[in-house]
Amino acid sequence: MPILNKNKRVLGALLTFASLSMSGVSHAETLHFGEALTHQPPVAVSAILASPEAYLDKTVTIEGTVVGVCSMRGCWADIASDARFQKLRLKVQDGDMVFPMHAKGRKAIATGKLYAVHLSQAQTQRYLAALAKRNGEDFDPKTVTEGMAIYQVEPVAVDILD
Amino acid sequence: MNWFRLNRTLHRDIGYFCISFTLVFAVSGLALNHVRDINPNYIVERAEAEVSLTLQASDAEINAYLLNAFNLDTSVKASYWESPSRYKLFLEQGHTITLNLNMQRAVYEAITPRPIIPALNRLHLNEVRQKWVVFSDVYAVLLIYLAVSALFMVKGKYSALSWRRGWLVLLGTAIPLAYMWL
Repeated sequence: MPILNKNKRVLGALLTFASLSMSGVSHAETLHFGEALTHQPPVAVSAILASPEAYLDKTVTIEGTVVGVCSMRGCWADIASDARFQKLRLKVQDGDMVFPMHAKGRKAIATGKLYAVHLSQAQTQRYLAALAKRNGEDFDPKTVTEGMAIYQVEPVAVDILD
Repeated sequence: MNWFRLNRTLHRDIGYFCISFTLVFAVSGLALNHVRDINPNYIVERAEAEVSLTLQASDAEINAYLLNAFNLDTSVKASYWESPSRYKLFLEQGHTITLNLNMQRAVYEAITPRPIIPALNRLHLNEVRQKWVVFSDVYAVLLIYLAVSALFMVKGKYSALSWRRGWLVLLGTAIPLAYMWL
């Protein structure tokens, strides 16, 4: 069966090539996303969250530990604030940047535009209810009487350091 | 020129060319269809443990307690208080321990990148950008050709244009139409 054996060898070679070319996982020390970072001095996340209107629609550079990553599409990464209980989300359109889950716990530097996501009263109730449920806390939706804004950064450049 | 033979030849050769493209989109399509049930990019293993910790414990004490609770011998990369009752510990390889003081429970999550599937998904979702979209468009056009040319592959009673097999074409048309209109 020389022809059959030859076909098997070709098929084997194709499968090996495909496996090798698709199974590569990057273990680079520093992960770069988007453009090269400028040397703009970082703004403290706590300063941004204390007065977000001052930075709204402006380009800011932030740095901090990555404390959360979208596990499905890698389309967002949460950056811890220098103040307790605060974080700021880097949010990209699906596929623009894909943040890996193993970035969690590593330091990130990101430059991008700060923008606000305005939630209606009902959306705010659902959002806060979900947070309370996750924290195992009681929550009364009636305490929410107006909507809120969530601030995020749309990054153009991100470095995740080792 | 024998159009029937030409169509069969083109269908065969384009079919060969499209085999790997089809596998890429089909396998990743299955993964993405079930994205709510199975994380397509990572295998996430979870373990839970009851804890007995209070807010009075220092971060270092909490870290040592949590590592011991899950019998882990690894270094701590970072930690983060998400809320007064929720604490996260980041370990090597992106593994995490999340402590909920209100529930007195900790969850350890170990993540392992899945092989191959994420790469296929990136192609399916056009996340690689660059020139992939050109090949993706060419493949889509070739698929249209394969679908239409299949109608003229066989002559006679088993032709797609005969009632004996044409009902399969009608069924395949009716299913998406039903979902579009119902």
